[in-house]
Amino acid sequence: MDVMIHSSTFLLPGNDHSSSVTYALVVLNQRLPRFTPILWNHAQVRVCADGGANRLFDEMPLLFPRDDAIDVRHRYKPDIIKGDMDSIRTEVLDFYTNLGTKVVDESHDQDTTDLRKCVAYVRDLAPNLDKSNLCILVAGALGGRFDHEAGNINVLYRFSTIRIILLSDDCLIYLLPRTHHHEIHIQSSVEGPHCGLIPIGMTSVSTTTTGLQWDLTNTEMRFGDLVSTSNLVQGEKITVQSSSDLLWTISIKKT
Amino acid sequence: MIEALFESFQLFSGHALTWVFFSYECDQSSLAQILVLASKMQGTKVVDESHDQDTTDLRKCVAYVRDLAPNLDKSNLCILVAGALGGRFDHEAGNINVLYRFSTIRIILLSDDCLIYLLPRTHHHEIHIQSSVEGPHCGLIPIGMTSVSTTTTGLQWDLTNTEMRFGDLVSTSNLVQGEKITVQSSSDLLWTISIKKT
Repeated sequence: MDVMIHSSTFLLPGNDHSSSVTYALVVLNQRLPRFTPILWNHAQVRVCADGGANRLFDEMPLLFPRDDAIDVRHRYKPDIIKGDMDSIRTEVLDFYTNLGTKVVDESHDQDTTDLRKCVAYVRDLAPNLDKSNLCILVAGALGGRFDHEAGNINVLYRFSTIRIILLSDDCLIYLLPRTHHHEIHIQSSVEGPHCGLIPIGMTSVSTTTTGLQWDLTNTEMRFGDLVSTSNLVQGEKITVQSSSDLLWTISIKKT
Repeated sequence: MIEALFESFQLFSGHALTWVFFSYECDQSSLAQILVLASKMQGTKVVDESHDQDTTDLRKCVAYVRDLAPNLDKSNLCILVAGALGGRFDHEAGNINVLYRFSTIRIILLSDDCLIYLLPRTHHHEIHIQSSVEGPHCGLIPIGMTSVSTTTTGLQWDLTNTEMRFGDLVSTSNLVQGEKITVQSSSDLLWTISIKKT
């Protein structure tokens, strides 16, 4: 079984596009995490999902209180706004359209969520993107309405062969597919120590870990019984292998 | 924040409440503050469970209410949990797991934006919508296992013996139509509905 290596370098300042990972950023309609500018700098394509454009317009200037708001909005202009367009304000749409942002109106398609549309766009259509090692960062993916959050988590399961990271101010989540051994390299300046492994979609008959305060050894996990929450990372590397897809979650530090 | 909570509950209920605090993740200065406030409130009991690191705070609280809370008619008990969602996802998942662990007790997880509760597979469910305070956005979430068959009435996108599972169909961004929803499923489901802002 192949090893899949994970590292939250997208949370570290700096924009080394020399990294082998190609990042894309999708902004959803929740409060922008305070580290959104760091994600933005790592990303080679930036997509707003419908009302995510309102968030960018309203809240990015708040992260740069000493800068002129219009300047900030010009600096942080999305490449594309996509979705069913029922949340974006007209003034926001006009502002970004005038700056050259492409708008793709998918209001005819009521069967898929905005995030699903954006992930499909990045995977299939985003031009000039090296997708051999793609990682899609999703800001504002958690909190708010639980059905939205569940729908966003479901996108991780639907697109299980693409690295997708759901982010909020407090934590991040991504899928650990059962097809791989996983090595998670902890960036302790920005994440941890609180973490968990969550068998959302089905019972996990057997999971084995190293590097956690409460490691699992061929342990069964399922809702109604053991789910690994309020765990703690010890040191710099976690390993996980499971008979089922698991969600990995780790807290993001406040400073 | 704790003080404001104390005051608002006292005002609302008009009688002394039993508060139970678990200092599992409580720093020492917060704990000291809580103890000082608690000692001023007539009838308040403080239970320190900080020695028990194996169960979550919510699980301890639910077990307390179920087993120990005196003078409580538990024949039709419903436990409301404020601040149960948002924040760290592992906490949220742990709180959801409490719904599954205590599947025979009505437990409602609440946030500013929505509420969640379990619909056990053992029953047909009728959900009466309080449309002045909740809806219309809703969902049915098969957490923990595939739901082979779910049938609903009263939703914009009803299900008819429909399979739901993560990786495929999960009923999110659904809408309530009218005043009564019915749900029956081969698996336990989470029901979630938005809470109105006004």
